Amino acid sequence: MFSNIKELYRCRVLIISLVLREVKLRYQGSVLGFFWTFLSPFLLMCVYTVVFSVFLRINIENYPVFLFCGLLPWAWFSTSILDGADSIIRGGELITRVLFPPQVLPTVTVFSNLINFVLSLPLLFIFFLLFKVKIGISLIALPVIMIVQAVFTMGVVLMVSALNVHFRDVQHILGNLIIMWFFATPIIYPSASIPEIFRFIIYVNPMGTLIKAYQDILFYRHFPNWVLLGIAFCSGVVVFFFGNLIFNRYREFFPEEV
Amino acid sequence: MAAIKLENISKIFPRRPLKIKRQYTTLKETLLNFNWLRNRGEVRYVAALKDINLIVEKGESIGIIGMNGSGKSTLLKLIAGIQHPTSGKVYIKGRVASLIGVGVGFHPGFTGRENIFINGIILGLSKKEIKRKFDDIVRFAELEDYIDEPIRIYSDGMFMRLGFSIATNVDPDILLIDEILAVGDEYFKHKCAEKIAEFRKQGKTMVIASHNLGAIKRWCDRTIWLDGGIMRETGIPGEVVKHYRNAIAEKEGKLPLVAAER
Repeated sequence: MFSNIKELYRCRVLIISLVLREVKLRYQGSVLGFFWTFLSPFLLMCVYTVVFSVFLRINIENYPVFLFCGLLPWAWFSTSILDGADSIIRGGELITRVLFPPQVLPTVTVFSNLINFVLSLPLLFIFFLLFKVKIGISLIALPVIMIVQAVFTMGVVLMVSALNVHFRDVQHILGNLIIMWFFATPIIYPSASIPEIFRFIIYVNPMGTLIKAYQDILFYRHFPNWVLLGIAFCSGVVVFFFGNLIFNRYREFFPEEV
Repeated sequence: MAAIKLENISKIFPRRPLKIKRQYTTLKETLLNFNWLRNRGEVRYVAALKDINLIVEKGESIGIIGMNGSGKSTLLKLIAGIQHPTSGKVYIKGRVASLIGVGVGFHPGFTGRENIFINGIILGLSKKEIKRKFDDIVRFAELEDYIDEPIRIYSDGMFMRLGFSIATNVDPDILLIDEILAVGDEYFKHKCAEKIAEFRKQGKTMVIASHNLGAIKRWCDRTIWLDGGIMRETGIPGEVVKHYRNAIAEKEGKLPLVAAER
């Protein structure tokens, strides 16, 4: 695990340049530019707002803002996973024709999506202003939550990117899994509305804890449950560790199988 | 001191059983196929390289010839460290640059300038080194007028020139060349040849895999003939090339060249 991290550190210039390229690429030649990052959560938000606030008439104050607090970090997570899964296969020539540490590719996916997430935060705050929702001091906990999410996401992406080289249908399985995962995570509903006996679902799911933490600091203006966040961090580290194990197990064969 | 040392190198690729039509295993197949443990025995193996022993001294340039599928590219990839041998050991002393990786990571939407930086970093240069060599790279590729244009408007030749120019400016101790000189017009070919001659003068180690037997004779101190993954012959380029040509002529059903020339 540490050799992988060391290698990543050694390649930091490479990673930074590739991340910047990735971010630039996404917006190159598009009219709306980086608003696209914001647009798909925004459309989702509109749909859910109509369904839950208008049709089902669930009464949550400022529901669109609440939704956004969960949808944006979820977009970072889910896009990282789905893009990351075939990042090594997409890397193609880099893997087969030059000496290139393969873990750079999934890392680049996670970090370019992180940049998108960070870029969409100002728009989130504009939303806060529009709905006259206040922002609390608890905002300072944001980087902590993001670090936990980064570790967990890195672990998952390392795992699926390596597996996907060998088993090409991993990315299709993931596409379905991510949808189920989305509904198992308290994004479109507050975690308090889950019946007590099912509450464990969000606690065994690090993303559940994380999304809840984002909502706590942004929407509810109080600090997150540090114990739960600590547990999420630990499970993130464990997932990262296993991700590395699986990655190292397969990496030798990438140049031949890509 | 040897720059490259290969000890009993073998490279074996698994070949998937024919009854599975698809190219890749799917997770579902692995899970549903309950006898997958037994099936393992059915995978056939192909040896791309068998028991290769090779010592390349510093400053020596080695030519590799052989027919398609004889293991030339695999050998270069093993030396470059891109692939790992199934058995045996590879020892390398010095910085390796390979012209296998020409133009890797180029993105058509970015300018020549941006691509030089990305490609250079991918090939292991630092930002500072690239800045220092930038003008040389552009001048050698003769792309001064186009360097700030996106490379999707480049012709194939311009593209290759840029790639070659970056790769040779990595300033390697060991240069691996895989059939690259086939591209470009006569003028640029001559320029490349000059560059290679310059590398030889500087005492750099080179490994060249090529079907261009004339070039092999001209540039190499020693030539290796690979045949089906085995080192069939090694020696003075002229000799080995002659024997190789004879073998091909024989395969074509003609008389060996030596006999025919009489």
